[in-house]
Amino acid sequence: MTSAQPITTKGSRQKQPRFAVLQAWVSRALARDLSCLIIPGPEVALAYGLDVTAAGMCSSATPRDATVLLIIGELSEQMDEAAAVLYAQMPRPRTILMLGGKTPPSLPDADVSADLSQKALTDAVERLQGLLAEGAFATYPEDFDASVLHVKIEYVCPMHPDVVRDEPGSCPKCGMDLVAQEAGKATSGHDHEHHEHHEHHEQDSPQSHEHHHGQGHQHGQAHEQGHPQGHANHKTGTDYTCPMHPEVSQDEPGRCPECGMDLVPREAGEVTPGHNHERPGHGHNEPESPQDHTNNKTGTDYTCPMHPEVSQDEPGRCPECGMDLEPREGSENGASGNNHDHGEHNHSGHGHDEHSHAGHEHGGHSHGGHEHGGHSHGGHEHDHGASGFMSMIEVTKDLPRSADGLAMDWIEVPFGPVFPGLPGGLKLMLTLDGDGVIEGNATSLVGMTNGDNDTEEMNAEAFVERLALATPLAPVSYRLLACLAIERAAGLADNPGTGRASALERERIASHLGWLALLGRQLGFTWLTQRASALQLDLRCASQKRLAALEPALRTLTARLGRTPLLKARLKGIGRLPADTPGLRGPVALAAGDAWARLWQRLDEIRTSLDFIRTNGEPELPGLRITDQASGRGEATVDTPRGQARLSLTLQSGRVTSYRLDTACSHHIGLVAELVEGQELGDALVAVGSLDLSPWEVMS
Amino acid sequence: MSVAVVLLALLGSVWLLAVVEGWTTTGRLRLTAPLLSGVAHLGRESIVPRTPDRLFFEAAPVLLLVVAVLAAAVLPLAPTLVIADMATGALFVNAALAYVLVALIMAGWGPNGAYAMIGGWRFLGQLIAYAMLIVMPITGVAMRAESLVTTVIVNSQDSVWNIVYQPLGLVLFIIAAMALAFRAPFDLPVAGGELGGGVDAEYTGVRLAVLRLARLTLVVTLALATTVFYLGGWHGPLLPPWAWSLIKTLAVAVSMLLAGRYLPRIREADLMRWCWTLGIPLALLNIIVVGILVLVVP
Repeated sequence: MTSAQPITTKGSRQKQPRFAVLQAWVSRALARDLSCLIIPGPEVALAYGLDVTAAGMCSSATPRDATVLLIIGELSEQMDEAAAVLYAQMPRPRTILMLGGKTPPSLPDADVSADLSQKALTDAVERLQGLLAEGAFATYPEDFDASVLHVKIEYVCPMHPDVVRDEPGSCPKCGMDLVAQEAGKATSGHDHEHHEHHEHHEQDSPQSHEHHHGQGHQHGQAHEQGHPQGHANHKTGTDYTCPMHPEVSQDEPGRCPECGMDLVPREAGEVTPGHNHERPGHGHNEPESPQDHTNNKTGTDYTCPMHPEVSQDEPGRCPECGMDLEPREGSENGASGNNHDHGEHNHSGHGHDEHSHAGHEHGGHSHGGHEHGGHSHGGHEHDHGASGFMSMIEVTKDLPRSADGLAMDWIEVPFGPVFPGLPGGLKLMLTLDGDGVIEGNATSLVGMTNGDNDTEEMNAEAFVERLALATPLAPVSYRLLACLAIERAAGLADNPGTGRASALERERIASHLGWLALLGRQLGFTWLTQRASALQLDLRCASQKRLAALEPALRTLTARLGRTPLLKARLKGIGRLPADTPGLRGPVALAAGDAWARLWQRLDEIRTSLDFIRTNGEPELPGLRITDQASGRGEATVDTPRGQARLSLTLQSGRVTSYRLDTACSHHIGLVAELVEGQELGDALVAVGSLDLSPWEVMS
Repeated sequence: MSVAVVLLALLGSVWLLAVVEGWTTTGRLRLTAPLLSGVAHLGRESIVPRTPDRLFFEAAPVLLLVVAVLAAAVLPLAPTLVIADMATGALFVNAALAYVLVALIMAGWGPNGAYAMIGGWRFLGQLIAYAMLIVMPITGVAMRAESLVTTVIVNSQDSVWNIVYQPLGLVLFIIAAMALAFRAPFDLPVAGGELGGGVDAEYTGVRLAVLRLARLTLVVTLALATTVFYLGGWHGPLLPPWAWSLIKTLAVAVSMLLAGRYLPRIREADLMRWCWTLGIPLALLNIIVVGILVLVVP
């Protein structure tokens, strides 16, 4: 039975009529082997009570391994962009499953949409399987394109910023080669948020030019070509100038006072070098003698780095050892490693080690291109590896030594906003030296904003709902916080019942279990993830009786963690915070010390909360008591699972006109830089994880 | 003939391991799951990342698979069921497995991605930790058999298996084998929570299928090596020799797979420190004890 309109998925793959039968068979296998990448993250799915495994899917750690992009709830603008990049990285055929909301604008319409409930999810997965079995392959697959995936490349003259072309070429004023840069980026340096991306079906191009965002990727040519200035040598007689403002000159690396771009080294006295990047034999030593450009052809011979007696006029291979010959100036014969040539390569791969040198001398790694440059260095060095001799000693000899005494390229790598070991929505930028972290900082892509004046008024009920919705990892706490603040503003006495407090404690247990699941994911401790997730799902809406029944299971979990080999060694001493660190709240404050202490603090809190619920009665979701048309100012604090949150708001005739929220995570996120500095990568991530940051609760 | 049988046995074991792996992650025991997953991988786009080192990128998964199969080639399933009964068999296992490092460095370098690259280099560090703990226990085994021929090694355990004769060697060898196969808790190069898949991160479609097959084959090969060196190989009552080899191999492989579920990933610094300060002295002690036993016990 075929319908008139063939069923296809939005991310279908090209149909091959020759293999129609085979593809039909493969489609059915695809439909039964679903793995999903959850956006914002698995912890949000758990907090909503969704169990993707029970619904028939596996949860995947990377987009490369996922067939389904499972989006939970509305996404912030930045998360929308991240989702588009992740979707582009997924291999076709791929599908989008949207739960509880509209598909974000950057993505194609969801293949299947459903409500935010386990039952709806299970149904949706079944529908998705049907859809994939029928339409994994299409005759005319839809292209996927999103503005975030594009970077417009423009070509500018380094000396004449007013010269901007769409095509490469040379400057009409000075004849210099125009350099490629991201459009609109001339004055702000390079920005990591932008990607160059062209997505094709595998048919169009065997190389899908995709790259990861939040998955540790570089992108290519904008940067590689954006730094021809890297050719300039910075060792001798060098000053630093801005590519856009040649009048800027200083002895030290830094930023341009005019436009903020990173300064690039320039040979003193060098004005318009007029490099011809296409010319072979463009050795690394040339900036030391800029005049060589003019006599490059006449004064250069080619020699073997290993056999200096070999000499010829043309590039080629050494007759003795087969290595690529390198150019040598007529007057110069030593320093073989220093003037190594990369043979026929273009200028993009050329400046790579200078580029990284420059990056190091900038010190700050604000250098936008570093992640990209550093890494494309990797690829490029190797692309040319067959044709050039690359001495590791030469490449790294002037680099600063890190703590372990090794000199390496520093690369800036994003972790997040969708990363298996971190909460979804948290983006960690780490500057890595090997696998050591030089520096890092964390930002939230899903944080809240304080509504002081400019937000629209909303009635009290809607405000409570909004706050609860904005904090999916602790909705009960924030609902309670909003209710308390509004009730106080309305002049009501505090509710004497303990149902609300029990609900808060139940959420604390659930939240800590969610953290344990995340810890398990981070440490590859599968059993912990599965056990904690299962308990969290069971417990998040449990009655007092059910909680009592779950108590032995929770005690067993605690005991098991105490006995787990390697766990203490993994956590002890990691993420140590001085006891007098300002701004600490919640478990992080109570367990001054390391990640191991924080683990036990949370396990203790689970036990205390269970005791509390046992003596204080049935948990009861906080609901707003009638406040009618009350007015006033109210302030409340609630001890959320991550620490104290404070809300003060103004109520005018039953409407919230302004509010101010202060959360623990807003303070804790600032600790990240200190915690990760100088740590090994794995330790740095454990340290960040041990803070139990909820990016949703970060105020921006 | 024996080539086909051994390959088939390897493939069957890999399939069984994949079933167990799927069972532990999804909670559903589906015998067809590995097959479906394999077919599904064939149907997926196999993406090549931007500016890859194409040769390394393409060759790494294949190399890993070849290495695992090569090492298995000298390990006997039954007295005559061995692809190549080499005079230097035990040494060859070690030599072949050295290329696991090469494959991982290539897989890390090839895709031109930061996570993969760090994963590749991490494995280089890991090699420094585990390498001695593969060779030194094998030395103990070869000392008892007074031979490097794998069939002779199995026959030397005719009366007492090496698990009894040199239990310390077994423990060290299994730990090193798990580190070599980069299974949890030694999965530093592919750490999901730290590197988002590491060296696996950029592979999709057919290439990923080959890589997964290679990783499981490596586990089977190392389990087979453990069986041959320590668990008496094909020796056992009632059942035919090949059945005993397979049963023991699968038992070891499944326990390697399951052990990782209950342990957090080890810190690289700890792995290095424990291997050198504890592992190597213990391995030396094992050699001394075996030496004494060989001299004293007839």
